[in-house]
Amino acid sequence: MPSFILNQRVVSTDESPGLVLLEFIRGTACLSGTKEACREGECGACTVLVGARQADGSVAYKACASCLLPIGDVDGCHIVTVEGLIGEPLTLVQRLIVENSASQCGFCTPGIVLSLTGFCLGSPSLSYEEAINALDGNICRCTGYVSIRNAARALCEKLAGTTAVPSKRLDSLIFSGVVPEYFRAIPGQLSELRAAPASCGKDAVFVAGGTDLFVQKPEQLMESGLCFLSKRRDLDYVRVDDGRLLVGGAVTIEDFRNAAPVREHFPGLREDLLLHSSAILRNKATLAGNIVNASPIGDAAIILLALDASLVITAADGAKREVPLAKFYLGYKKTDLACGELVSEIVIPLLQAGARYHFEKVSNRATLDIAAVNSALRVTTGPDGAITGLILSAGGVGPTPLLVGGLEAFYGRKPDAVTADAIARAAEAAAKPIDDIRGSAVYKKLLTGQLVRAHFAAPAAAGGAV
Amino acid sequence: MKNGDMDMHVRGTSRFVDDIPAPEGCLHAVLFTSPVARGKILSLDISGAAAAPGVAAVYTHRDVPGLNQVGHVLKDQPLLAVDSVEYIGQPIALVVADTPRNARRAAQLISADIEKLEPVFDPREAAAKGLIHGARRVLVNGDPEAAFAKCKIVAQGRLSSGPQEHFYFETQRALAVPGEHDTIKVHASAQSPGAFHRHLAEVLGIPMHKVELDIRRLGGGFGGKESTAVWIVAPAMAAFILKRPVKLVLGRNEDIATTGKRHAYEYDYKLGLDAEGKILAYEIDLFQHAGACADISLAVLGRSFLHVSGSYNIPNIRISAVSCRTNIPPNNAFRGFGVPQGTFAIEAALNHAAELMGLEAEILKGGNLLREGDTLPYGVKLDSVNAVRCWQTLDKKVNISARRAAVVEYNNDHTDTKRGLSVVPVSFGISFAQMALNQASSLVNIYVDGSVSVSTGAVEMGQGVNTKIRVVAARTLGASVDRVRVDTTNTSRIPNASPTSASSGADLNGMATKFACEKLYERLRDFAAKQLGQADPAAIVIRDGIIYDGGKTAGLTWEKLVAAAQWARVDLSEHAFYATPNLHYDLKAERGRPFAYYSYAASLTEVLLDCVRGTYTIEAIDIVQDVGESLSPEVDLGQIHGAVVQGIGWATLEQLRYGADGKVLTGVSAYKVPDIKFVPKRFDVTLLKDSSNPYAVCNSKAIGEPPLVHGLGAYFAILEALRGVRRDKAAPSLPLTPEKAFMYLHAPAAGGTK
Repeated sequence: MPSFILNQRVVSTDESPGLVLLEFIRGTACLSGTKEACREGECGACTVLVGARQADGSVAYKACASCLLPIGDVDGCHIVTVEGLIGEPLTLVQRLIVENSASQCGFCTPGIVLSLTGFCLGSPSLSYEEAINALDGNICRCTGYVSIRNAARALCEKLAGTTAVPSKRLDSLIFSGVVPEYFRAIPGQLSELRAAPASCGKDAVFVAGGTDLFVQKPEQLMESGLCFLSKRRDLDYVRVDDGRLLVGGAVTIEDFRNAAPVREHFPGLREDLLLHSSAILRNKATLAGNIVNASPIGDAAIILLALDASLVITAADGAKREVPLAKFYLGYKKTDLACGELVSEIVIPLLQAGARYHFEKVSNRATLDIAAVNSALRVTTGPDGAITGLILSAGGVGPTPLLVGGLEAFYGRKPDAVTADAIARAAEAAAKPIDDIRGSAVYKKLLTGQLVRAHFAAPAAAGGAV
Repeated sequence: MKNGDMDMHVRGTSRFVDDIPAPEGCLHAVLFTSPVARGKILSLDISGAAAAPGVAAVYTHRDVPGLNQVGHVLKDQPLLAVDSVEYIGQPIALVVADTPRNARRAAQLISADIEKLEPVFDPREAAAKGLIHGARRVLVNGDPEAAFAKCKIVAQGRLSSGPQEHFYFETQRALAVPGEHDTIKVHASAQSPGAFHRHLAEVLGIPMHKVELDIRRLGGGFGGKESTAVWIVAPAMAAFILKRPVKLVLGRNEDIATTGKRHAYEYDYKLGLDAEGKILAYEIDLFQHAGACADISLAVLGRSFLHVSGSYNIPNIRISAVSCRTNIPPNNAFRGFGVPQGTFAIEAALNHAAELMGLEAEILKGGNLLREGDTLPYGVKLDSVNAVRCWQTLDKKVNISARRAAVVEYNNDHTDTKRGLSVVPVSFGISFAQMALNQASSLVNIYVDGSVSVSTGAVEMGQGVNTKIRVVAARTLGASVDRVRVDTTNTSRIPNASPTSASSGADLNGMATKFACEKLYERLRDFAAKQLGQADPAAIVIRDGIIYDGGKTAGLTWEKLVAAAQWARVDLSEHAFYATPNLHYDLKAERGRPFAYYSYAASLTEVLLDCVRGTYTIEAIDIVQDVGESLSPEVDLGQIHGAVVQGIGWATLEQLRYGADGKVLTGVSAYKVPDIKFVPKRFDVTLLKDSSNPYAVCNSKAIGEPPLVHGLGAYFAILEALRGVRRDKAAPSLPLTPEKAFMYLHAPAAGGTK
C-alpha cells in the first residue's frame, strides 16, 4: 500500500501502484490545481515535485511529470502540488510570475510554478540558463514565453548568493519565500513513514523511470505487478573503476548528466543529454530504461553504442552476464533480455588518449523532440594523426539503433574532410530509413551523411583531439 | 492593469471545466468515431458496449431528442452520423459510463461495418470535381488584364500553406447538469455562448430559455472553440436523456485527431510591377482546404479574400476564392481567421518579384505600403492609415538597412551558416466580416455594498478581455477597480451573444459595458447632486470611488453614495447594447465597408540557418504594433508575444502529417509547438505612440490576432537564407520545417544538379 506525504498530509492508499499520480491527485485527492493536458509528458501542465529522502536525511526535490509517474514509485516521498505552495500571500516564484504577467489562460501555470520551484530546490546552479533548462518541458501556448523568461531572470537575480549545494539550501529558500515553512519538518516526517517493502513478484514489470512505459500502456500497467527500480538504492551509482565508467541501472538521465565522473570524463554528454528529453522527464527517466526501451531512435542507445558500452544483465536468481550493447538489439523493439532479467549496470570504457566522442541530433523542434536522425561517433587517432579506431552509430535509420559496419577500411587515414565524406557515404549506404512522422526516408538518409560530416567538422571536444 | 486572474492561476485555484467538483452521480461520456475517411455505414453494433461494466447508455443518431445537427452555418454536420461518414473522427455513437475509463473501454467494443468510398484529400482536386462549400467568390477591381500588359516584372507561381493545430491546453470539454422542468445547465469550454446555446436547444429539442450555458474561462481557445459544438452538445444530450450530470473531456490525441485546424491553403499568384517596383496588378486564386463540412470555413475564406492585398496598395486586382470540400475533419477558426493565409500569398509574391528584380524585398514592400486615401480592392477609401508610420518607427528602432548590411556581410564570410532577414508589415481589418455578429450587450449590477458585477457575452480565455472590461467599467463608473468583478459568461444573463473572436471581444463588449456604465454614472451623479444640494449635476464628478463637488472632495464615498441611492429607490442595474455603426457589405458587388478600422504593425525577423543540418534558429524579432490607446499595456504586450510565437510556430515547426487513409498521424509526441528554447533571444516590442482610434472603446485597438501575421517573417527570413545558398528550386511550402529546409539544401533539384 503506497504511503507518501501529499503537501502537508500523509496519505496511504489502496489504489493500484500503477495508477498515475496525476489521476490520484485530481481524482482521489480532489486537488484540481495540477492540470492534465497531454498524458504523455510532453507539456508539463501536470508537473509536481517529488521529494525523496537521501542517505544524509535531507530530502532532494525534483520536478516530474505526474501523468507518467505511478503512485507506487513515490512511496515514501514528499509530493508537492501547487496547493502545497502556500505563501504570504504568494511564494516568490508565484509573485514573480504575476509581476511579469507570465500567465495568460493559466492552464500551464501551476506546472511552471512547480518547475521553477523545483529548480530553486534542486538545481546545482541557480543561473538563468539552468532556469530555462528547468523549464524546457513546460509548454505554454499563450505567452510566447517572453514573460516567463523575464520571471525566470528575476528569480535568478533574487536568488543570487544562495548556496550551490541544494541539500543545504532549504533554510534560505524558506526565508526568501520560495517554499513554505512546513518543508522544514518534512525530512523528519518522511523518516517516520513506513515505506512498503519492495515486493517484486515473479511476473512484475520492471519500471526504470517509466516515462515511456506509461505512455505506451498505462491501462495494462494499472493491473500489473510492478517493480520500481527507483527503490533500488544499490543500483543508483555512477563511478569510475579500472578505466571504465560504471552506471547503476537505476540512475536517472539527469543524475547521470550531473554526476562528477561524467562531467570529468565525458563533458560533452552534459549538453547532449539536454536534447534527450525535458527536465521533468530526465528527472525520472533512466539511462538503462532508455536502453531497454529499444527505440531505434533512442538518444542514449545511440550515444552508448558509439562509446562501446556494455550491459551487465542480472537474472532473477542473481546470475550476472555482460553483453556488449552492440549485440543487445535483435530486431525492432527486441532485445537480448530474457523474462525476469534486468540491466543492472552500464559499463562505458573511458576515452583513451587520442579518442574523441561527438553526438549529433536533428529533430523537428530542436529540444524536447524525437530525432529524425541522431548519430554518435567515437574516433581514435594515433600519434601520427591517422585513424586507429572508429565507431559510428545512427538512429532513426533502421529497425534497431544502427552501428555502421566496415569502418576498419578507414583506419590509417587522416580524419579530414575527404575521409569524412567517404565515411558519410558509407553511413548513408548503411542507413535504411522509412517514411514516417519524423521525416521521409530520403531526408533521413541524406541527413545521416550530413551528421557524419558534422561529426568530423565539430571542434574537438575535451577527451582527445582529432 | 495586469490580468486579474493571475493571482489564482499561480495558486492553481482558477477553475476550468474539469475542475468543477463533479456533481453526485456524474457520468462520463466518450465518442465512438469513424475510422474511415469516407464511407457508407452498413451496420453498427453497440451491444457489446451497452453490456460493458459501468455503462449507463450508448446513443446513436436515433436517440437524438431534437435535431441531429451541429452544422454551424450550414446544416451539414450531424451530431452523430446517420448512414455515411465523411472524415476520420466523425462521431458515430456516444457512450456514457460511470467512469471515463469504463466509457473508453466500452467504446472500444463498438464495431461499425463501413463500406469504404474513395476520399478526396487534395483541395485542388476537390475544386476540380466541384466539391466545394458555398460558391466561389470573385472580386475584380480596376483592369488587371490591361495593367499586366504594362508590367515590366511579373512574378507568377504556386504556393501552399499548411494547417495548424490549436493546441489550446484545455481540450474540448463540457459538464452538463439537468435541472427541473426539463432544463439543463452546461458548463463548457466554448467561445460562442450564443451560437452554442442555440445548438444545445436544437439538439435537445427544447426552447432556448430552458438551456443555460455558463462559461467561466477557457484554458486557451485561439478560435478552436468557436464553431464546432459537438463536444458540448454530446454530453448535454446524454444528461438530458438520463437526467444525470454528464461530463465529456477529450483526450489530447483525440482532440488533435478529430477537431478542426487552421485551414491549409493552396495559391496561384501573379503579381505585376512597373520598372520602378510599383505594384500595378495582382491575380490570386485561393483554394481553401476546408474539410468535410462547411463549419465556419466560408467566413474564414471571406476574411482571406478581403486581406489578399496585405498592407499594400494594389490598383488592379482579380481575386478568386473557393472553399474545398475534402474528407478531413471540418476546419474552423484559428487566431488570424484567414488573414495570415491571405497575407502569405502577397508577401511571397513580393519576395519573388524582389528576387526577379535583384532587389531586397523590404525595398519593394516599403515602396508599396498603404497610404492615406488609398482604396482597398473592395472599395474602402482609407483614412488614419498607420502602415507607413509603423514601418518608419521600426526603421528608426532597428535601422533596417544597417541590419541588412550586417546580414550581407555575414553571408559573404560564411558558407556553413547563413543569415536571413525579413520585414513584414501588417494591416488587419477589425470587425466581424459577418455583419450581424458585430453586436454585444452588457449587464452591470451595482450592489448595495458598492461592489459591481459586470456580465457580458465576452469569454475570457487568457487574452485578458475581462481585465479590459473591468478597466472600462471602473473608469466609466468612477468606482475603484477592486470593486468591479466580471462574472461568468452566461446565456441567462446575456442572451444571443456573438462569439469572442475576431479580436473584437473588448471592442464590442467593452463598448456595451461603457454604455451601461455611463447610464449608471449619470444616474448616480444626479443623485449625488441632489444629496449634496448641488443644483448643477455637471459639477459632480465620481472618480476612483470618491465623489467630488466642484473639484473638491464632497465627503461622500462610492459605497455611501450607492447605499443611499438604493435606499432612495434608484435603479442600480443597467443593461446596454452596442452595434458597430456604419458597417455594410454587398456580397454581390463585393464592395462595402466591412471593417470599422484597421490595426497596423511592422516587424523585422532575423534567422540563422545551419546549412549542414538544415536547422535554424529564429534569432531576433523587433515589432512595432499599433494598439491605439491601450486599455492594458501588460495585456496587449502578452497578446503580441503569444500571437507572434504562435505565428512563428505555424510558419516553421508546426506540421500535421496525415496517413494515406486521411488519419492524423502527428499526435502530441510529434506535433511540436514552440517551446521556451525556440523563442527568439531578442524579442523587442514597441507600441506605436500617439495612435488614437475613434472607432473602438476608449480609443483602443484590437490586439488578439493581428500580431500573429508577424510569424510570416520567420518563414521569409529562412527562405532568404536558403535562397542565399541556391536558387535552382522552387520555394518550400509553409511551414518551412527543418526537414524542408534540409531537402531544399541537400536534395538534388529535379532534372538538375546542386
